[in-house]
Amino acid sequence: MLEELLMAFINGILLGGVLALLAFGLNLIFGVVKIIHMAYGQFVMLGFYFIYYFHTAWHMPLLVAMAGGIVVMGLLGMLVQLLIINPLLNAPRLNQLLALASLIIVLENLAQVLWGADYRGIPISMPIIQFGDIFIRSSYLLAFLGAIATLGILYLFLHKTYFGLAIRSVAQDVEIAKGMGINPKVIYYITLAAGGALTGVVAAFFIPIYTVHPHFGASFTLMAFVIVVFGGMGNLMGGFISAFIIGVVTSITAVLTSTEVADILALVLFILMMMVRPQGILGAKA
Amino acid sequence: MLTVDAIDTYYGEFQALEGVSLKVEKGQTVIVVGPNGAGKSTLLKTILGLQKARTGSIKFQGEEISGLAPHKVVERGISMVPEGGRVFPDLSVQDNLRVGSYNPVARPNAQRQMEQIFSLFPILSDRKRQAAGSLSGGERQMLAIARSLMSCPQLIMLDEPSLGLAPLVVNMVFDFIQQMKKEGYAILLVEQNANKALKVADYAYLVESGKLVYEGDRDSFDKNPYIKTAYLGL
Amino acid sequence: MKRNSTTSKIITVGVLLIIALAPLLATSEYMVHIGTLILLWAFVSTAWAYMARFGLVSLGHGVFLGIGAYIPVMLFNYYGVSPWLGMLAGVGAAVLVAAILGYSCFRFGLIGDYFALVTLAMAEVVSLAIVACREVTGGSLGCTLKASVGWASFQFDDKRYFYYIIFVFLLLALYIWRLIDKSRMRLALTAIEESELAASSMGVSIIRFKMGITLLSAGLTAMGGVLYAQYITYINPGTISGVGVSLSTCFKAILGGMFNIFGPLAGSAIMVSLEEYFRISFDTGFLGVSEIIFGVVLLVMIIFLPKGIVGSVSEWLNKRFGVARS
Repeated sequence: MLEELLMAFINGILLGGVLALLAFGLNLIFGVVKIIHMAYGQFVMLGFYFIYYFHTAWHMPLLVAMAGGIVVMGLLGMLVQLLIINPLLNAPRLNQLLALASLIIVLENLAQVLWGADYRGIPISMPIIQFGDIFIRSSYLLAFLGAIATLGILYLFLHKTYFGLAIRSVAQDVEIAKGMGINPKVIYYITLAAGGALTGVVAAFFIPIYTVHPHFGASFTLMAFVIVVFGGMGNLMGGFISAFIIGVVTSITAVLTSTEVADILALVLFILMMMVRPQGILGAKA
Repeated sequence: MLTVDAIDTYYGEFQALEGVSLKVEKGQTVIVVGPNGAGKSTLLKTILGLQKARTGSIKFQGEEISGLAPHKVVERGISMVPEGGRVFPDLSVQDNLRVGSYNPVARPNAQRQMEQIFSLFPILSDRKRQAAGSLSGGERQMLAIARSLMSCPQLIMLDEPSLGLAPLVVNMVFDFIQQMKKEGYAILLVEQNANKALKVADYAYLVESGKLVYEGDRDSFDKNPYIKTAYLGL
Repeated sequence: MKRNSTTSKIITVGVLLIIALAPLLATSEYMVHIGTLILLWAFVSTAWAYMARFGLVSLGHGVFLGIGAYIPVMLFNYYGVSPWLGMLAGVGAAVLVAAILGYSCFRFGLIGDYFALVTLAMAEVVSLAIVACREVTGGSLGCTLKASVGWASFQFDDKRYFYYIIFVFLLLALYIWRLIDKSRMRLALTAIEESELAASSMGVSIIRFKMGITLLSAGLTAMGGVLYAQYITYINPGTISGVGVSLSTCFKAILGGMFNIFGPLAGSAIMVSLEEYFRISFDTGFLGVSEIIFGVVLLVMIIFLPKGIVGSVSEWLNKRFGVARS
C-alpha cells in the first residue's frame, strides 16, 4: 500500500508537469485576452487526433507528425481569435463564455465525424523504470521533462523577446500598452497561437500515455480550470505550483478511491478556493 | 508640426470635445489648461488614436493621422505620458522602458536610448531590476516620462504630470520638462496646475467643458483677468 | 420604452392558445413529443432566467435537473415510493442544495463570472457523483424508470397527458415571472444589480432576496428534472445532469432573450426544433454533423444576436416602428 501511495505521489508530480503546461496556456490567454477559453481541453483532444492522423494516414514519422500537430493547433488558436474572440471582445463575459462553450459542441462533434467515436491511439511501448519497489513509466517521465523544458522556453520567450514583453504589458494594462505603440489585436493573435500550439505540445506528450476519443478533452478543461483558479487567475507562477498540488492530490485520491471521487475532490477544492480565496494561493489579498 | 482642426469626440452619446483646434510647432511647448473633466485628457487620447474623433482632422507633419490606430501614430513620432504616471507595475523598470521602444522605428536604437536615459535619471538606473510598482509616485512619473522618450518621439504629450505629487517632486518634474524642451522636443502638456505649466509654455490654450475658450502666448495668458482669477489664483 | 399593453395581451393570449390547441391539430405522436420537449425546456429555461436576468448567471442548473430526475426514480425503482412523494423529495433536495450553494456564494460575495464558474463546477460534481455511485444509479449508462402506467405512478401511455401537465407547469413558471416582476422583489433585485451598496443602505437584505430567487429557480428546475424522468422514463448523467445540459439550458434562454418573459420559450422552441431538424436531416450518414451545424448556429447567434432573438426582434421593431412590445 505504501509503495502504491508513493507511486501515486510520483505519478502525480510527473503528471503535474504536463498539467502545469496545460494550465499555463489557459492562464496566459486569460491574463492577456481576459477570456476564459472554455474549449481549451478540447484543443488538446484535437491536437491528439491531428498527430494521430498525420502519423497513421499520411505516414509521417512520429516527430514530424507531432510538429505538424503543434503548428496546426497554433493556427487553429488564431482562427478562434479571428472568428470568435475578436467579434466578442467587448461583449458581456457571459456571451464570451457561451460562445466558447458552443465551440466545445462543434469541436467534439467534428472529431466524432472525422475520426469516429472509437478510442484511437498510437501504440508506443516505452520501458518502465524500476527503483527498488517503485516503478515509474518512462512515458510519464518523458512528458514531465518535456513539459518543464517547454515551460522554460516559454519563460525565456516572455522575458527575453519584444513579443514576450508586449504580451506581459498588454496583460497588465491594455490602455497604456496601446499608447506605447502596441497593437493589442496582434498580441491577442500571438497569445492564442501560443496557447493553441501549447495544446499541441501537451497532446504530443500525451500520445504515449493515453488513447483519444471525442470527449477526451472535457476533463482536461476542468483540470486546467481548477489549477488556474487554485494558483490565482492570470498568475503564471501560482498556476505552476498548483499544478503539482492538484496533480498529486488527484493521483493519490484516485488510488485510494476512484477517479470520479478524485475529480470531485478537485472540483470541490476549486469551489472552496473561489469562495474563500479567489485570488489563489499566491495572490495578494484584494 | 501638429495641427488639430475642429475635432468632435464622443463617449457614446456624451460629447467630450466640441470643435477643438490647436497647433504645436516644431520645438514648441504648448499647454492646455482647464478644470477637471474639461476634456483635456480626451484631447490627448484623440490625438494618439485611443479615442476616435467623429469629425475634424488631425495632421502630424503634414499627414492626416486622425483615425489611425495608436500604434501607427506612435510610429510616426508622437508619444504620451499617461495621467498619474501610469506604468506597468509588475514589470521591472528596465522592461517598462523597453516597452516604450516597442515600435519598429525605435527598436534599433533602444539600447543607446536606454543608456542615455539612465545617465539622465540615475535613480532609474539604480532600480532598473525593481518592479515599477515599488517606486514612489515621483519616481513613477519620471519613469513614465523616460518611457515616452524611448519611442524616439518628435512630439511628447504629457497628461497631468503633476497630479498627486508633492510640491517638491512637482518642481523636479517641471525641471525635467524644461530640459526636454531645451533638447528640442515639441511638447504638448495638459495641466490643471496652470501656474507651473505656464512657466514652461510658449503658447497656451484654455479648455472648458470640451470647448476652447481662450488661446494666446504666455504673456497674454498671464495678463488675462479671467484666467488670473480662475486659474492662476492671483 | 412605450408599452402597448393591449397588443401585448393579445399576443400573450394568442401564443398560449396556440400552445393549448396544438396537440389537437398535431398529425402525429412525434409532433406532440417535440411539443412536449419544447414546453419542458421552456419551463426549465424560464426558471433559469429568474436568476439570470438579475445578474445571477448560473451555468450549473444541471445540478437541480439531475437531483430532480434521479431522486424520484431511485426511490420508485428501489423502494416503490410513489413519484408524488419522490417529487417532493427531489424538489426538496434540490432546494436544499441551492440553499447551501447559494448561501455560501452570496455570503462570500461571488458574483458575475465567478458565480458562473462555481455553478459550472457544481454541475460537474453532481454528474460525477451520479457516475461514482454506479451500483445504485447505473453510472454513465443511466437507468430506466420501472414501467407502471397510471396517475398513481405518474406515467401515461398518451403523450398528450404530459404535454398538458408540462404546459400547466410552464404557465405556472410564467405566472411566477409576472409575480416577481410585480412584487417588491423586482425593485429590490434591480437595485442589487445596479449597486450592492445602494441597495443595502436602502435596508434591503441582499442575501435574502438573492436566496429567494435562487430557491424558486432551483425548485422549479428540479421539477423540470422530475417531469423529464417521468416522461422519457430513461435518465443518464450525460443528458440530465452535468455541464452539457446546464449550458444548453442557458443557451435556450439567452438565444430567446432572457430578459423577456417569452424569451426562454422562444429559445426552447427554436433550439429543440433545430436540434430535431438537424438530427433528422443529417444523422442518417454521419453521427455528429447535426451537432456541428447546431454549434455553429449557436455561435453565430451569440455573436450576431447578443440580446437574444426576442430581444433583438423587439429592439428592431422598436427602431422600425417606435413601439416596443414588452
